[in-house]
Amino acid sequence: MFKEKSVEELKSAARRTSSGAKSGAFYNNPRVRGFVYQVALILGLLYFFGAIIGNTLANMEATGIKTGFAFLNASAGYDVLMSLISFEATDTYARIFVVGFLNTLLVSAIGIFFATLLGFLFGVAHFSHNWLIRKISLVYVEIFRNVPLLLQVFFWYFAVLSSLPGARDSLSLGEAIFLNVRGLYLPKLVGGDYSSLVYLVLGATIVGIFFLRKWAKKRQELTGEQFPVLKTSLAMLILLPLLATILTGFPFTLEYPALKGFNYFGGITIIPELMALSIALSVYTGAFIAEAVRAGVQAIPHGQTEAARSLGLKENKIMSLIIVPQAMRVIVPLLNSEYQSLVKNSTLAAAIGYPDLFNVFVGTALNQTGQAIETIFMTIIVYFIVNMVISFLMNRFNNAVSLVSR
Amino acid sequence: MNDFQPIEARPAPNQAVGFVAWLRNNLFSSIANSIVTLLVMGVLAYYIPQFIDWAFISANWQGTSEDACVKEGACWVFVNAWSYQFFYGSYPAEEVWRINLTIVLLIVVIIASFTLPRHIRLKVSIGAWLLLPIVGIAILDGSWLGLEQVSTDLWGGFTLNVFMAAASIIVAFPFSFLWALGRRSQMPFIRSVSIIFIEFFRGVPVLSLFFMGSVMLPLFFAEGTNVDKLIRVWLVLIFFMSGYMAEVFRGGFQAVPGGQYEAADSIGLSYWQKILLIILPQVIKISMPNILATFVMLFKNTTFLLIIGIPEVVQTLQTALSNSYWLGGHALEGYLFVFLVFWASCFSMSVMARRIEHKMNTDKRD
Repeated sequence: MFKEKSVEELKSAARRTSSGAKSGAFYNNPRVRGFVYQVALILGLLYFFGAIIGNTLANMEATGIKTGFAFLNASAGYDVLMSLISFEATDTYARIFVVGFLNTLLVSAIGIFFATLLGFLFGVAHFSHNWLIRKISLVYVEIFRNVPLLLQVFFWYFAVLSSLPGARDSLSLGEAIFLNVRGLYLPKLVGGDYSSLVYLVLGATIVGIFFLRKWAKKRQELTGEQFPVLKTSLAMLILLPLLATILTGFPFTLEYPALKGFNYFGGITIIPELMALSIALSVYTGAFIAEAVRAGVQAIPHGQTEAARSLGLKENKIMSLIIVPQAMRVIVPLLNSEYQSLVKNSTLAAAIGYPDLFNVFVGTALNQTGQAIETIFMTIIVYFIVNMVISFLMNRFNNAVSLVSR
Repeated sequence: MNDFQPIEARPAPNQAVGFVAWLRNNLFSSIANSIVTLLVMGVLAYYIPQFIDWAFISANWQGTSEDACVKEGACWVFVNAWSYQFFYGSYPAEEVWRINLTIVLLIVVIIASFTLPRHIRLKVSIGAWLLLPIVGIAILDGSWLGLEQVSTDLWGGFTLNVFMAAASIIVAFPFSFLWALGRRSQMPFIRSVSIIFIEFFRGVPVLSLFFMGSVMLPLFFAEGTNVDKLIRVWLVLIFFMSGYMAEVFRGGFQAVPGGQYEAADSIGLSYWQKILLIILPQVIKISMPNILATFVMLFKNTTFLLIIGIPEVVQTLQTALSNSYWLGGHALEGYLFVFLVFWASCFSMSVMARRIEHKMNTDKRD
């Protein structure tokens, strides 16, 4: 067969197929096709959104809801259970938005702190030399990871915290901390005349420790000498503010919660809603973080541990100086997504009535004003921004812990 | 010359093997370890007998009402009396065979997609999976089949959680596949639309999506159309799920070696032939552990439906707890029961995911 064709013919045939896009029909050209697909998609989307917006406007007109953000300046007319800034029922929806936002930040911060603590504790416990500790870590992770968060929130709120004793027979710790069905009561530090001076010293100490660490690291890199940073900074952190307190003549008084009538007053009150939500979020996310820590540590080749042992490092030093810094490269990206889902999961506040942003805004404000689209989108945007900030910070942290090639 | 006389094998050193050695190595290897062991054992020895006594020995098992709970232990009578509602919601008792039939169908399809002969397995099982939600709705609702119609208001309980999760992930499957392809596409507009879609549904709290489904979505439909609440929430769950699954599939696409794409191109397959016949089967296989993990997440998230008033299992439990005939405070028993049901299903799926992962990880086996 081939013999009948000349070489020239074969070459021209090959040329034709290789430049087939040009010589073939125009609809076989990938560029033309791509263009057509995208135009079709744009038209489809335009039609889709056009229809949605048209329908929404028509529906809202029919129910008499005014679009726009004018409702933000109206008086809300309802009180919230807990607020970090002063709030009264006559305040505006805009202020309620801020109140809810701060409450969301509070519960997220508490949750992230304790989840990280629990996660690292149980994650490292997975590699303990003690069989019991290893098994406890495993049981913790497998139980709390595999049960819905909502169920855990309810469990803590309805089954555990609501079975606590009433105010009159509160559990107490040294007559200073009280725990009862209405919440946790802590003594509050009330500053006197020179208390700002003590706070100033505390701030200066923290800045000082930061520079001390920098200096110690630099010295170690230059001379190889180690400086006991942890001990020094701990001593500084305790002694310097204490010295300032003594010199200014104890400008602090502790305000203890006291039983008046049916409840405790004074001090700091942590409402059970906040407790239940924080416990559930920390325990649930902690289990995922423990799993992330385990994965991170397991990703480190065993040779690293053996090399560290042969250098004569102690077991706890091997973990803190060799394994964990390397494992952080695997752990930090996972932490990033766990923190973000913790913030998103904090919306479960709506289930038990903790006044977070979602509950006071998408829950109550939406119900009262009927402004579904505005309230939901304002709330969503806040969660997006918070998650973007977390992502930004964690990426900075990730750059700090990632391998530096010299 | 003497014959070779093997000397008696020496006994294993009792320092290295056996129960005592195990104890020494794993529980009492150092002073600190011994203290920790004793402390933990002490705490366990204090609480576990108490729990066993409460949950089993002095628990109440027999009876139908609160009066049967006379002993001070757990009142499992409560769970027993409400078990129908926990599993089936308010679905009429004489029609409950329909729910059971749907569950049997689900199990049959799961088994079929692992055991059918290889040459028809993929086609038949994909077809069966995609048909399953429609068949399920037809059976459960009943009006298409000429059975008595059961309104979606009556659907509830644990089977509703299973139904919502399964129906959402099945329908989300093809969509998420398209979104993942879109995100990998060379066409800038298609790529950016896919990225916005995926990141929106991954970045938003799932609860706000449910609120969108229940409050905002009715505004989007033309005036007069009334879409069932459960279907609206189903739509939202499908969108949510396709965002997450798209990322799972994207990971799968990236894990398929580039040579596979090139080989498919070089034997002259068209784009869709290449994707459907060569790439997709490999992607599904690679992504299987992550698909299961995503499903576990979705399954746990179906409990959030309670917030918008859909009677899934936790909502049913809340209703049971506030029932005026059962005011004895059985929260602990109720939550423990639902805890256990969810844990058993999620844990078995996690174990399955891990096993598949381990099986595929042939190169890293140690």
